[in-house]
Amino acid sequence: MRLRILGSMAGAAMALLAPAGGAAAQECSVKVGAIFPTSVDWGKPIAETALWVADMINQAGGVDGCKVETILRDDQNDAKVGVDAAKALVDISKVQLLLGTVASGITIPILTSVSVPAGTMQMSCCSSSTRLTAMANEGATKGLWFRTFATSSVQGAVAAMAAKEAGYKKVTIFFKNDDWGQDIAKIAANAFAKSGIEVTTQIAITDGQPSYRAEVARALAAKGDAVYLALYPKEGIAVVREWLSLGGTTNMIGANALKSDDFRNTVGMQHLANFVGTDTSTPRTDSAKGFVAAFTAKFGKAPAGPGLPNSFDAAAISLLAYHAAGRNATGAQIAAKVGMVTDPKGEKVNGDVDGFKKALGLLKQGKTVSFQGGTGAVAFDKNGDVSAPAVLWTFGASGVQEKRYITLEEVGAFISSVK
Amino acid sequence: MSGVVSYLVFFATMAGILGIVVLGLNLQWGYTGLFNGGVAAFFGAGAYVTMILGGRPEPGQFGGFQLPFVIALAGGIASAGLAAWFFGRLTLRLRHDYLAIATFGVAVAFESVARNAEWLLGGAKGLRGFPRPLEAAIGNNFLYGLFFLTLVMAVLLAVYVGLERLVHSPYGRALRAIREDEIAAQSLGKNPARLRLQSFVIGSMIMGAAGGLYVAFYAFVSPQDLAPVLTFQVWAMLIVGGAGNNLGAILGAYLIWAAWTASGFLLAAFAPQAMQLYTGPIQYILIGSVIVGMLLWRPQGILPERIARSGHRASGATTADNGGN
Repeated sequence: MRLRILGSMAGAAMALLAPAGGAAAQECSVKVGAIFPTSVDWGKPIAETALWVADMINQAGGVDGCKVETILRDDQNDAKVGVDAAKALVDISKVQLLLGTVASGITIPILTSVSVPAGTMQMSCCSSSTRLTAMANEGATKGLWFRTFATSSVQGAVAAMAAKEAGYKKVTIFFKNDDWGQDIAKIAANAFAKSGIEVTTQIAITDGQPSYRAEVARALAAKGDAVYLALYPKEGIAVVREWLSLGGTTNMIGANALKSDDFRNTVGMQHLANFVGTDTSTPRTDSAKGFVAAFTAKFGKAPAGPGLPNSFDAAAISLLAYHAAGRNATGAQIAAKVGMVTDPKGEKVNGDVDGFKKALGLLKQGKTVSFQGGTGAVAFDKNGDVSAPAVLWTFGASGVQEKRYITLEEVGAFISSVK
Repeated sequence: MSGVVSYLVFFATMAGILGIVVLGLNLQWGYTGLFNGGVAAFFGAGAYVTMILGGRPEPGQFGGFQLPFVIALAGGIASAGLAAWFFGRLTLRLRHDYLAIATFGVAVAFESVARNAEWLLGGAKGLRGFPRPLEAAIGNNFLYGLFFLTLVMAVLLAVYVGLERLVHSPYGRALRAIREDEIAAQSLGKNPARLRLQSFVIGSMIMGAAGGLYVAFYAFVSPQDLAPVLTFQVWAMLIVGGAGNNLGAILGAYLIWAAWTASGFLLAAFAPQAMQLYTGPIQYILIGSVIVGMLLWRPQGILPERIARSGHRASGATTADNGGN
């Protein structure tokens, strides 16, 4: 039967692996490396999700007719262990595709000292560091790197969108002094400036200080007509209280970390009428709901915990691209086919066994598909990054209320307008 | 086949780097009895400073001085020594468990600084872009791997030979005397405070050298590399190999690192599909069992310390003067 499937196709993809045709009738397998922190409580479900996708691809016919054999290694959240595992997978098991890992501090050395030198494609569900974008941008990843994790660029840009809509002209930024806060403040400041909003000053807020009076006084002196708060609730409460008591404006835009009842109740609704929050959102697409339903059916519980839809999509997209490139493809050849799986103009396919069957068939004919995954219709930019839909929210009488849902397309258009 | 060789070269390089760290700890604990719980800090100081001195410049980032590798590495070693001198002055009066806690605190503080001082040490995203020595000249990936292994082995050998000479000299006997009975050593005219500090600084400089090699190997360093697990791994290597025996320290590094990585490899290769998700925790259990087993049945390590009975006898007191005071 495999012979028939293989024999019937004449797509451009097949040209890459002409010598493989003859061996088609045999049982074959493609090895795929997966590195996740499986010994960490939240890491195990991420790995489990990736293995589940490989199972479904196998049920749907496998990668280019071959069974996907996932070799799962634990990185123990230790860079030395993760890089060693990657090196063994690439050198000894000869994998052309690596899935993982979570911590950027491990993903980066794997990428720079194993994947890129060996020409192996690497796709991560969860690494968030902006360094990866910078590396891709300067060409250090040679197009072999992808991630399905939406970076802070979405929230930073949407903050500027909200400020523009509210008609603010001069914004002052408070940010939490850690990697998340430093990152998002930088992105937001750039987005504000590019949308014609002046950033008066950016003030770092270090955790656990008894008072933020000095910081707040500096912000007041800058005389902005609005503030942007990339803070966590505890420091956010302290800063906003001092800010309001010294006569600061109630025109506030906040990052998703402030989505807390504590913040709302302590600051008081009378001061929050003009507050707008930003957040990334799970997409309101059928495929995202489908993922939740399928995950619940498979594991008996809803997908709670970080990175699960992202892991699902990373595994699915990279395996479908592997299929499109053929069983003997190299990492670079697989990476080149990712666009075929995430083509917005392609036929929509869902992340279930039937969807994968359909996708495998279409890809074999050389047609593109638009994979509808757990995080929606994923599309990578030239740096291997993805975007996400966003929401604007406000505080209402009963807690957090959604103000507006911003689709992936709108977010994408706005981000490219402030680049 | 070539893949296996390539992997083994990689493995031997990383184990060699860890072996250098273990040698540094062996001088501190094995010979002088200093319970250093902050190995990661001195390893990290060497790694970060080597990166800052030798790395490529990046916008908005301190460092990237692009100094030649040897100078960058020397800077890394010196800074690890300087850090050890500073913290040694503060903490070395503490004994055993107190010293362990204090030095552990130093390591945690260093990690915290590296994570937060973004302009200086890159923050959580780390520092990258180290031009690996002679990489362009060698070109081929596999040959470069071999070259780097040779470099690490050369440093490992140099440290080993240097330490062997040091610990078999009268100076080494003075260190052991302090380890065994500080008051007795003092009564013989030794200055324990100074000797302890010297041993601590030299050992930490060796760890810093390993950190510098590590940065050149990965061309990347982040706070992830400074996690307390590194200190634990190095201690496990020393205890299993044999504290007070330099050959044992190196052997321990290779054995423990082999157990650490091979257990993951073998479990991934041979464990049934259904068990795949649990290989991570099983690996931890295996590693832990090896260490516990060693402590129970061979607490002195695979190659225990051997005290050489040299022919010094009566002349011991005068020759030891080189080391004391």
